[in-house]
Amino acid sequence: MTFGIMVGYIALLLFVGVFATRLLKKSSGDYFLASRGIGPFMLLMSIFGTTMTAFALVGSTGRAFEKGIGVYGLMASWSGIIHSACFFLIGARVWELGKKHGYVTQLSFFRDRYRSDLLPLLLFPVIVGFVIIYILMGVVGSGNVIEALTPETFAEADVKTEVVLLAPPQGLQIKDPWKDRLSYDDATRTLSLAGSIHPKRRGELFGMVAKPPAPEWKKGVGQLIDRAPRGAVPYAAGMALICLVVLIYVFLGGMRATAWANTFQTLVFMVMGIVAFVVIKDKLGGAEAATEKLLASDAAERATRGGGQIHQLQFLTYCFIPLSVGMFPHLFQHWLTAKRASNFKLTVVAHPLCIAITWVPCILLGMWAAAELPGSVNPNAVLGIMVAKHSTELLSGLIGAGILAAIMSSMDSQFLCLGSLFTNDIVVRYGRHLGLGEVTDRAKIVLGRIFVFLAVTVTLLIGLSRPGGVFPMGVWCFTGFASLFPVVFAAIYWKRANKWGAMASVVTVGALWLWFLDDALTGEFLIAGMMPVTILLGASSVAMVVGSLVTPPPPQDLQDKFFPKKTS
Amino acid sequence: MNKLVVGLILALCVLHHDFWWWDTAEPVMFGFMPIGLAWHTGISVAAAFSWWLAVKYCWPERLTEGDS
Repeated sequence: MTFGIMVGYIALLLFVGVFATRLLKKSSGDYFLASRGIGPFMLLMSIFGTTMTAFALVGSTGRAFEKGIGVYGLMASWSGIIHSACFFLIGARVWELGKKHGYVTQLSFFRDRYRSDLLPLLLFPVIVGFVIIYILMGVVGSGNVIEALTPETFAEADVKTEVVLLAPPQGLQIKDPWKDRLSYDDATRTLSLAGSIHPKRRGELFGMVAKPPAPEWKKGVGQLIDRAPRGAVPYAAGMALICLVVLIYVFLGGMRATAWANTFQTLVFMVMGIVAFVVIKDKLGGAEAATEKLLASDAAERATRGGGQIHQLQFLTYCFIPLSVGMFPHLFQHWLTAKRASNFKLTVVAHPLCIAITWVPCILLGMWAAAELPGSVNPNAVLGIMVAKHSTELLSGLIGAGILAAIMSSMDSQFLCLGSLFTNDIVVRYGRHLGLGEVTDRAKIVLGRIFVFLAVTVTLLIGLSRPGGVFPMGVWCFTGFASLFPVVFAAIYWKRANKWGAMASVVTVGALWLWFLDDALTGEFLIAGMMPVTILLGASSVAMVVGSLVTPPPPQDLQDKFFPKKTS
Repeated sequence: MNKLVVGLILALCVLHHDFWWWDTAEPVMFGFMPIGLAWHTGISVAAAFSWWLAVKYCWPERLTEGDS
């Protein structure tokens, strides 16, 4: 049933995406930028949906289970302040410049502002590499989520699992509907199960013997559940399905379909987070009772930030991570889609509230779960376990759809952005030198699709190996984007900034990012108690300033183009 | 007004580092929300209010001209 609901959601999403393609004007301007015609509400939903990944639901709950309420201050309230600052100070200004000079991508803006062909060539592999890591987080997440939420989707009736019990079960009575699947042989003390089983059936099996169930029976049931197939949708199939769905609507409708699908998906994951919270809260006896239980438990520390769960310097320096939105190329492209600058106002104001609406319920659920579940539980499984434990299969399916919505609403923009960067900044720019001649509008779209398809295939192949440490990799990828922030900030606000400063900044970030890569992937990596982004951002800023000051200033006409003198 | 809004945003950044609630869950707000979480939810709401002031009173004029 759970998988059926997810499939139903995906079908609905495709309907929305295909509906949006009917509005598509067949030009590359519409395909990549929705003809710069997006209104305030859709801009808010697109931008919010793009910045929130699966981490907004699954990761926030899991990290609160592990680290307590400080996770909100670390990741959510800092983002509420800093993201809106980026939209106000960078987004609206970039939109203005994009409209005036016809930019389609982030790199086309940098090429023009810094008047350099080398800078975009230097940035292209860095940005594409970071985006692919970002996509990988979503791809691996979608495979894991679908696999975790769909046990017993396939009966696998021909698979038989056997366990030898340590002692004969007392008063065993195999009830319906288990009679056809479960059997016990007295002579060999063997318990046999035909087909797949959901881990939550443990309680049903415990209830088949005299109460209380003996430890030998509990152990035997545990072994049976561990060894029997789960009958879930395979990880690889889940990953491939989600990529295929996103590819279909991005290929068909470009940015317009992406904006519509993002709006729909953002509403879905926000509503589903609240629904999960309300249902689980009621099952726990109400919010007050759940908090009281936590405060009386061994996990009471989760209601604070004490006990070394989060360090003060780490908490303070996490403020630099949200600067990454200033350099996300896919968000840059969303900014360019706005119909007018004033459309940014709603996004700037409502973004902190949208974050609070999505994150506060998840943080509370994660905190309460610490009093409900053993500490050994995989943090990323906490939301799924709480949903499975306290709600119905219907709700499990809907929550699953919400999680997939959060994943896909970032992935679609990233796919589209990869195509835009490759087509507009590589093929169109350098195609002539390679004898490709003038690239038509149609060819731009086709080439963009081919590049996206290849990038997604590579990501899927990497995802097949189930790379560990996806979360540290994600934080490291955000560190890279945030450390490049001086390149965009100086481009807009510092007349003296030149291409040498920008290139020095990019090279510094690339070198330090690779230098610390091994440490970053080991888990929670801090330098002198600080988030490493502090060091990378500091070095990148120094490189930008020194690189610009020790080399000649930008030509006067370039300065006049981007910093026109105010006329009274 | 620009200075007031900049001051508000900077004040939020300072207030974000609420070391004074670091080791305590008390008082529990609304009967269920530990003070540290309630404080930071308040920071999010205050951020929205500050940014509302920013777009209302500090929106660059040239952007408004561009719209028209």
